[in-house]
Amino acid sequence: MAKQLGREQQGITLRGSAEIVAEFFSYGINSILYQRGIYPPETFTRVTKYGLTLLVTTDPELKNYLNNVVEQMKEWLDKCIVQRLVVVISSIENNEVLERWQFDIECDKTAKDESAPREKSQKAIQDEIRSVIRQITATVTFLPLLETTCAFDLLIYTDKDLAVPEKWEESGPQFIANSEEVRLRSFTTTIHKVNSMVSYKKDSFP
Amino acid sequence: MSQDCNDEWELSKENVQPLRQGRVMSTLQEALAQQQETSIHTTLQLKKQEFESEIRFYSGDDPLDVWDRYIKWTEQTFPQGGKEGNLAAVLERAVKALNEQQQYYRDPRYLNLWLKFGNCCNEPLDLYSYLHSQEIGTTLAQLYITWAEVLEARGNFKKADLIFQEGLQRKAEPLDKLQSHHRQFQTRVSRQTLLGLEETPDEKDVDLVGAEQPQRSSLAELKGRGKKKVRAPISRVGDALKATKKNGSFPAVTSQQLSNNPGFAVFDENAASGPELPVLTPQPWAAPPLPRAKENELSARSWNSGRRPHSSASSGVGVPCPLPTFTPYVEESAQQQVMTPCKIEPSVNRVLCTRKPEKEEDPLQRVQNHQQDTQEKKEVVMYCKEKVYAGVEEFSLEEIRAEIYRKKAKKQTEELMQAIAQKKEEIQRQIEELEKKLKKKEDDKQKQPHEQPTERTEASPPLGPEGFPFSSVTEAGEKLPQLQSEFQVSEDAQLRRPSCSEGTQSGNVFLDSEDEQEEKRDEATLGKKDVGLIPPPGSATFFSIFDESSTLTNQNISCSADNTQKSARRPLAVLKPSDPLTAKENIPPEACDELNTIEHLTEDAIVTGSYKNKTLCANPEDTCDFVRAAHLASTPFHGVVAQRVPAPAFSQSVLKEDCPESKSAPLNPEMTGCEGAYNEALCVNKLSPIMEASREDTRSSGSSVSSGSSLSSVTQISTIKYLHIPEKLELAQSLPAEMVTDSGGVDENITGDDVTQFLWSAEQRKKLLDPVPESLAASPDFHLETGALPVMKVEKDVELGNETYCIKGEYWTNEEYKMFFALPTNFLQLDAKGFAIKVYSQPVPWDFYITLQLQERLKADFDQSFSENCSCYLYQDGCAVLHRDINHLTLGDVIRGCKSITEEVILLVVYNLLGVVEKLHKAEIVHGDLNPEVFFLGDRICDPFTNNEISRALKIVDFSHSLDLRLQPRVSLPNSFPTSTTPHGQQLLAKSSLPYQVDLVGIADIVHLLLFGDHIQVYQEDSMWKISQNVSKTVDSDFWSKLFGRILNADGKSTVPLLRELREEISDMFDSCFQERLCESLTALGETSLLKNFL
Repeated sequence: MAKQLGREQQGITLRGSAEIVAEFFSYGINSILYQRGIYPPETFTRVTKYGLTLLVTTDPELKNYLNNVVEQMKEWLDKCIVQRLVVVISSIENNEVLERWQFDIECDKTAKDESAPREKSQKAIQDEIRSVIRQITATVTFLPLLETTCAFDLLIYTDKDLAVPEKWEESGPQFIANSEEVRLRSFTTTIHKVNSMVSYKKDSFP
Repeated sequence: MSQDCNDEWELSKENVQPLRQGRVMSTLQEALAQQQETSIHTTLQLKKQEFESEIRFYSGDDPLDVWDRYIKWTEQTFPQGGKEGNLAAVLERAVKALNEQQQYYRDPRYLNLWLKFGNCCNEPLDLYSYLHSQEIGTTLAQLYITWAEVLEARGNFKKADLIFQEGLQRKAEPLDKLQSHHRQFQTRVSRQTLLGLEETPDEKDVDLVGAEQPQRSSLAELKGRGKKKVRAPISRVGDALKATKKNGSFPAVTSQQLSNNPGFAVFDENAASGPELPVLTPQPWAAPPLPRAKENELSARSWNSGRRPHSSASSGVGVPCPLPTFTPYVEESAQQQVMTPCKIEPSVNRVLCTRKPEKEEDPLQRVQNHQQDTQEKKEVVMYCKEKVYAGVEEFSLEEIRAEIYRKKAKKQTEELMQAIAQKKEEIQRQIEELEKKLKKKEDDKQKQPHEQPTERTEASPPLGPEGFPFSSVTEAGEKLPQLQSEFQVSEDAQLRRPSCSEGTQSGNVFLDSEDEQEEKRDEATLGKKDVGLIPPPGSATFFSIFDESSTLTNQNISCSADNTQKSARRPLAVLKPSDPLTAKENIPPEACDELNTIEHLTEDAIVTGSYKNKTLCANPEDTCDFVRAAHLASTPFHGVVAQRVPAPAFSQSVLKEDCPESKSAPLNPEMTGCEGAYNEALCVNKLSPIMEASREDTRSSGSSVSSGSSLSSVTQISTIKYLHIPEKLELAQSLPAEMVTDSGGVDENITGDDVTQFLWSAEQRKKLLDPVPESLAASPDFHLETGALPVMKVEKDVELGNETYCIKGEYWTNEEYKMFFALPTNFLQLDAKGFAIKVYSQPVPWDFYITLQLQERLKADFDQSFSENCSCYLYQDGCAVLHRDINHLTLGDVIRGCKSITEEVILLVVYNLLGVVEKLHKAEIVHGDLNPEVFFLGDRICDPFTNNEISRALKIVDFSHSLDLRLQPRVSLPNSFPTSTTPHGQQLLAKSSLPYQVDLVGIADIVHLLLFGDHIQVYQEDSMWKISQNVSKTVDSDFWSKLFGRILNADGKSTVPLLRELREEISDMFDSCFQERLCESLTALGETSLLKNFL
């Protein structure tokens, strides 16, 4: 996902925006998986992105899976039919949902018909994305310890009229009962706006 | 917006310790926001205080719950941990407090408490084995999981596995969780060993390169050190260190290196296998280090390598010898000793040097010590130590007491509310009944409608139902305080019963030892008492508790009176001989329940609210408490004996048994004279508190008995403090006397009548103020209005000057005078402050004249006590005086509204009262009608934020019956004042008395009303006027009796100095502590009066 240098002059197009957002998801999900210890830390490797050192998985299967999802996301983002991406972290043992990372996507559907690119510098977007990823890293300050081994699941909310692709299946929202929600920062490419939020199981503390 | 609220936690994420159970975002944000604002700190303190007091006064069966919440709250509220939250201390206290509570041993909360506590301990492993041995939480999986985790973290996989096995064997709950943890543990271990085996030489090299670089421990100090060359300290951590140690020998530490690293004593978990000794050199690795992925450790950057050349100097020096694996505990303690000889540069500030690990006592050890202590403890704590030290913070006894008091007070108000509700219901029922009756009547009337005009029938029915409830409600309101006091009385009586019975007990004992005559006398008086106490509350107890042990102890007393040596064997008995009342303490101190009951007693006495603010003894009057307090404080206690002996009027023989004597003295009619002398003698040298106590002692010892003497009401010593019944008897008794004086007063009234007419007649005043004095007419506040006086009624608007006022209420009214409370119409809300409108049906601006005269004569002394801001509107047929800034309550409202006015408030009010009258008299003005209704409350009482120096508690604006003695010099007829027509006034005021005297009587009456809630009743004895109420049950009784004595017997003396003296005496009682109590009382008063407003 090399930077497309030309884009900076051009501004933001729908296609470029979809790419940026999909890329963010790729790194974001990787960060979450690393931070929350879903996969052993030694299976991650460092890359520099957005001016940050991020960890991405080296596990080929996981990589493949994530690539698939991100590609699919890109396609849907391009069509402006995706509303939300959710990373659900649940315990392997009892399938209890422990954490739920929710990325709400607001698509500006008018961009589909526009031909002229929007004005927003690549750098400004990157800065915004960086602060979101930083926050994801910082959430360890308040998130509960995941004491059991966990698995993750990706949910994507799309517009209703979409036919479910082959590799996907329909699912429930997998909400957490009695949860604490924390909104994180959001970023926008002017075409897609991504609001992030994490919800986690509330302690019995009043 | 979302960014705004997110900022805080992200900005200080480094200052937040992660919690196992996660954090509540709102609390976190709050806590972090509070770091900046110290003002909100107080809310935290309050919350903490709440927990602390809850711990102390928890009455449920789950004390762990409070602690659990407290700890969770602390964790959440102090995200950075540290001293502020003091979590470690809280945990330690909790563990101590809940120690050996078997019912919690299977409670996961309890186990969690211990496990959290373990994190604060130096050696959690010890704690786990302790828990295991104590069977605490051994049925819970969490114990084994945590235990194994710690062991695993230290590399002791074998032991960790053993712990898991143990847990599985015990079938710890939840078993599946334990199993899964065990599985995960196993996979982790196996993967690690697998990785270690599969390591390729390539990777080894990579690791070598990585390890060869000096690494810094995370969070270690990076401040440059060294004298010549400043360099940051490097301490080996992680793989590099391990590898180094495998190398074999320890590096020969040169002193130079040590001086470079004075700050390394920081204990680091990572250093569990070795101290942070300066290893500045890259060591040649003899063996490849174990590759371990440590995600939290950053590998050192290249800029570090710049120092390598320097450090190479010490290369080749030995490395720490590899210590045996898997015994981290032993290893650590051994290492700690190595760590201490670290030499500290003399220049380094000692204050900042690290604590030596040896000195730091392990909290676990403390807890264990504590447990042992409690087991071995022999001493009995004589104060509620467990309450004082229950929580983390220390509570003062006052705080504890206040808490108990508050609880009781709350209960009382609840009860009161219930009573009110019941009353209301009853009244409602009555109303309904009456309505029914009325309706019936109405029907009857309608049946015979012939002669009656219909309008009238219509007018009367609504009057009935409306009129009645009103009156009945006020009646109920008036009854309430009475009810309350009655309730309290009975409670008091109950409370005191044990001590009373004890008193009689000892009295009975003395019957044995006294000669026959005495016995007879005592019996007689006891019999009398039975008569006196019409229904003696729980009279059975007076005699039933007579048991042998008490006989014995009392015999002990009488013996010891002769032979103190004998009784000296008992540590406490020395004090007793003189004091039969302390007999109950003669019961061996081991009898703990006895002590407990004492404790309860005193607490309850405080709680009843009648005797607040005394810390040492619950009731200052109660010398039993006082004596006990002396014991508790274990001060050398000999006051009673020593001070009693010199009491005159007692022969030697009496002295021997002076206690029984003094006790029985009030009972003995023949002894009254002697006893009076005794009493007086005591009054005179009441210097030391113990002396005072001993006097009270005599009284209270006789309290249960002397009611008989009160029947005769000869002496003043009929001080029945707790049994209020005799007081009522007294009242009943004094009634006939009153009636007599009443009938006597009628004649006087008749004779005085025409004079009164003369004195107060409008003509007289008109003459005096005609022509209107210049000073009056020239005043800017004097308005001469044409036309008639406007009609003033409640809820009507009235125009005075250019303002329109809405009259909200009426204070009092008679044919000539009316006093209204009004607000400007544009201020419709009923406020505490407003205007008082005084209406006089004669066109004489008398009040205004007096006010002006006061202003003129007093000059600087004319202060808030008077109406500083009033205007007069003189109409053709009347006069209205408008007083601004008047609080809408009068002293009368307070007396009626409050069940009990606290001593502080009374003192304040009396102080101001004396001051006001003093000023009036100084200005040669006699008020003539001093009663609670004429005094409006001043800002001192109503406005809590006022300046205490200038504000006054009372304000007087009404001078309807005042005399200006400069203007009317020859008047010397006090009988014509309203005060002098009251029963007490008629008694006290002779025809010849000075007019000033009238106001003294008024003062006495007001003070009496404040103290006892009813009008003063006086009698003459030895040509001294005395009040029939018993002053001694009030706080500061000495002062009050003195005040009454002087005010009532001030014949012909000048009043101004007298009033000043009394006032100064009160001001001597004002100290800082008094002010505090006063503030409290005023707020309490404010609340009740507010409440009254709403009702």
